[in-house]
Amino acid sequence: MIPVSAKPSDPETGLPAIDSTGLPDHVSEAEVRESAARERLEKIRMFMTNWQGMGGLVLVLLFFASAIFAPWLAPYDPNALDIPARLSGPTWEHLAGTDQLGRDTFSRILHGGRVALKIAAIGVSVALIVGLVLGMIAGFGPRWLDNFLLLLFDTVRAFPTIVLALATVALTGPSLELVLAIIIITSIPQYARVTRTATLTLRNTDFILAERSLGAGVFRMLWHHVMPNVVGPLLILAAMDVPVVVTVEAGLSFLGLGVLPPTASWGTILNEGYLVIRDAPWMVVAGGIPLILTTLGFTFLGEALRDIFDPRMGKGR
Amino acid sequence: MAKDMTPPDETLLDIRGLSLEFRTPRGRVKALRDVSFPVRKNRIIGIVGESGSGKSTILWSILGLLSGNAEVTAGEVLFEDRDLLHTSQRDLQAVRGEEISVVFQDPMTSQIPVLTYARQMFDILYRRPELSREEKRRMAVEMLEKVGIPDPAARIDQYPHHFSGGMRQRAGIGMALLTGPKLLLADEPTTALDVTMEAQIIHLLQELQSETGATIVLVSHNLGLIAELCDDVVVMYAGEVVETGDVRSIFHDPQHPYTRALLECDPARIEKQAGKLPVIPGDIPDLVRPQHGCIYAPRCQRVIEGVCVTTPPPNAGTAGGHARCHLLDGPFHDPEWPPPAEVLTVKAGETGRPAGPKKIGEEPLLDVSDLNVRFRTMGALHARLKGVADPFVDGVLDVSLSVRPGETVGLVGESGSGKTTLGRAVLNLLRSHGGAIDFEGEQIRNMPERRFKPLRRDMAMMFQDPVGSLSPRKSVRALVTEPFEIHGISGVDLDAEAERLADLVRLPKPLLGRYPHELSGGQARRVGVARALALNPKLIIADEPTAGLDVSVQGEILNLMADLQAEHGLGYLIITHNLPVVRHIADRLAIMYLGRVVEQGDAEEIFRSPAHPYTRALVEGIPQPDPDRRRTHVSISGEVPSLMNRPVGCDFATRCPCVQPRCREEKPPHFTMNDGRVHACLFPLK
Repeated sequence: MIPVSAKPSDPETGLPAIDSTGLPDHVSEAEVRESAARERLEKIRMFMTNWQGMGGLVLVLLFFASAIFAPWLAPYDPNALDIPARLSGPTWEHLAGTDQLGRDTFSRILHGGRVALKIAAIGVSVALIVGLVLGMIAGFGPRWLDNFLLLLFDTVRAFPTIVLALATVALTGPSLELVLAIIIITSIPQYARVTRTATLTLRNTDFILAERSLGAGVFRMLWHHVMPNVVGPLLILAAMDVPVVVTVEAGLSFLGLGVLPPTASWGTILNEGYLVIRDAPWMVVAGGIPLILTTLGFTFLGEALRDIFDPRMGKGR
Repeated sequence: MAKDMTPPDETLLDIRGLSLEFRTPRGRVKALRDVSFPVRKNRIIGIVGESGSGKSTILWSILGLLSGNAEVTAGEVLFEDRDLLHTSQRDLQAVRGEEISVVFQDPMTSQIPVLTYARQMFDILYRRPELSREEKRRMAVEMLEKVGIPDPAARIDQYPHHFSGGMRQRAGIGMALLTGPKLLLADEPTTALDVTMEAQIIHLLQELQSETGATIVLVSHNLGLIAELCDDVVVMYAGEVVETGDVRSIFHDPQHPYTRALLECDPARIEKQAGKLPVIPGDIPDLVRPQHGCIYAPRCQRVIEGVCVTTPPPNAGTAGGHARCHLLDGPFHDPEWPPPAEVLTVKAGETGRPAGPKKIGEEPLLDVSDLNVRFRTMGALHARLKGVADPFVDGVLDVSLSVRPGETVGLVGESGSGKTTLGRAVLNLLRSHGGAIDFEGEQIRNMPERRFKPLRRDMAMMFQDPVGSLSPRKSVRALVTEPFEIHGISGVDLDAEAERLADLVRLPKPLLGRYPHELSGGQARRVGVARALALNPKLIIADEPTAGLDVSVQGEILNLMADLQAEHGLGYLIITHNLPVVRHIADRLAIMYLGRVVEQGDAEEIFRSPAHPYTRALVEGIPQPDPDRRRTHVSISGEVPSLMNRPVGCDFATRCPCVQPRCREEKPPHFTMNDGRVHACLFPLK
């Protein structure tokens, strides 16, 4: 740190006594660092004591771990047939029973989680990025572009997801890629709309005007000054959107429009279980539980994050 | 005066030992500590203090309207023998509005926009079932008439957006007085208003008080307002009452060092143009930490080592009240304190200043001539359909102005006078529609951004809101070095530059790692100055550089700006409505009204003998922080007309006290007087 003597204009001021570290005596460097660290610790503590948030986090981690480590966790190959034990109930050999072909349902659920994770991760992140970019362009760009993009978003949102999927499958045939594409296209508008609204309020703030007065370009203003301010709520929205995407995938697979047999997916497990529900109800149960837990986990996590990071909510409660 | 005859023991409201804490994630903020003062009947008591002193918190605790995380830890608020802190919600609701009512700071947000005034005033009288609708309406109309709303019988059926800011505040006062409350609480009632409106509201409150004998608690940071209006004063600092007393003893013979320093810092009290303003060093203490001793000790010029920091000061009786200071009582009593009024107890920092006149260059840095900025009021097609030939309003009309290197030009006007628009048009942030803007001889008006960008290194702007003009998710370090990145300046060590700039604006270096919301107003303002100075500009346009800053801090910022000007020969264009401040820093002044410059010339000359009646009204409109210099009349009435219906003749003709028939017909051109002053008045005062 430069000593005070380097300052040319210091002796003629009526300013606080500045000690050798260049600080007024009531602010010490340690104190500043401490206050920032304290705030961070406080946020983490708030999260740790929030049972919803912690529960959500555990479920989400469980979802990720089970999907990523499925090949090592699964006791059987998801497509291995065990004909003698077909349609068996939960036993020590088959923890969640088997299906009509004698495939181990537990292994299929773990592998089905991989499909769900893949769809959710790719679908939500691509939709988030595209929605963020389009939304910022709409909010920051000229009026006609804003109107055009809004029209586009509203048109896409007007299609019911399932009907859009049915129509497209009729043209191209079912595939995992198609499910992904449908999910991305239909979720872009909601991210874009949220981003656009946030950008519109930001573009008239003093600090954006200050950036313009410094000569900052549009790209710089969007990337450095608008994006960091809109991305927070968007990430929380994305966390809450994951279960929606997972259920859409399961729904499409259930209808036979998603992943193709024999690939395991929670939707196909439910579909196969549904066919034999009178003889082996546990298959539907086993296929439904992971869906419920994932939904709860992501929703709880999203809510808890929003409570902690959005200080405008819940003030004085 | 009659009200001074009231026996002093007739206390309406008594606050005793009030302590209050806010639970926050950072810890418990001890916002009020052992606050005690009585409010006597038929008097106006003023609570004065800087931001964070807890003055508004007192008001809300009287009414029990504190936010959910507040907790009263001790004390009582006695209102006619009832303790309002321990009254049931039901009883408290009966007191609110009926016996105690409030005038809010911002009439824009404290009135219901979707209901007419008639409806809002009926609602206030809902506890009076014995009154008929007609009677209630009559009462409301009478009240509006009393607060000076013209044609009240018709205007009562209008909505708040039909009223202008000053009228709304008048209506707000009327609504507060409608039930005939025993106690009126006013929270910064003039802060949201312009100088000329402020004078009118002060006058109105004075009249109403002498007429009805109401008891008023007034909260303000504005010493002038307190001196004009109040009978008793309570001075607060960081959640404690440091001094109480009647208004004359507080303003003429302050006992506590803080009161003394606060008065010395007020630019309106400093008569001579000092160039440098006195400041109270340091910041308000962190109220989360436990406090021992005197709360003001860390900033006090007369601190006694080893005593003030550790031992709580005694509550010494003074001529008109109490003051908490070791210098006044107890073993450390100093008979020499307080020194005579001429002696400055706070450092003004005048010593190092070069004695000679300021070095002002000859060639103008910025030269604006006949500039026009127009705003479209309706779309082209819409205008064609409606047959409007000219769907524009003039935000800035024929403004000529120049700034030379090393010179400070003050641009003064009320809100809506187009001063900010002018500043933005100069910086090419707005399109202008006529005239010329030359910067160092180069025509820059409406220059394409690509060609203008290099020039932005030479002209910088400081924005009104110190915190809001900083990008919230960027650290201070990133913010001050951003100009280098924007202009692609390579080969500089950004970390070293950040430290150099922090030194330049005297910003403590550890703050470089902070984010804007973690800074105080004064610190954020320094960051704004550092950003503006990063690339060594020649011209700085400062939009309300002291807005939102406390009296003790604004001096620091202005001194800093003066130092930087002396060092770097900067030209300043300072846009402000704050005349007392601009008086001390500006070399020349330009007074704007409705987008036109009505008077321009040497700052001291303009203050000494204004040529335009509007300038005179502004100069006289400043409330003087001296209870012996209270004004008896208001120099101008009415409000700034809307730009949409600009008067045919002189813009000021509708409000001018010396208006002549010719003024209403003829738009006055700009006249140049012998001393180089320019004014736009057909019948100048000089």
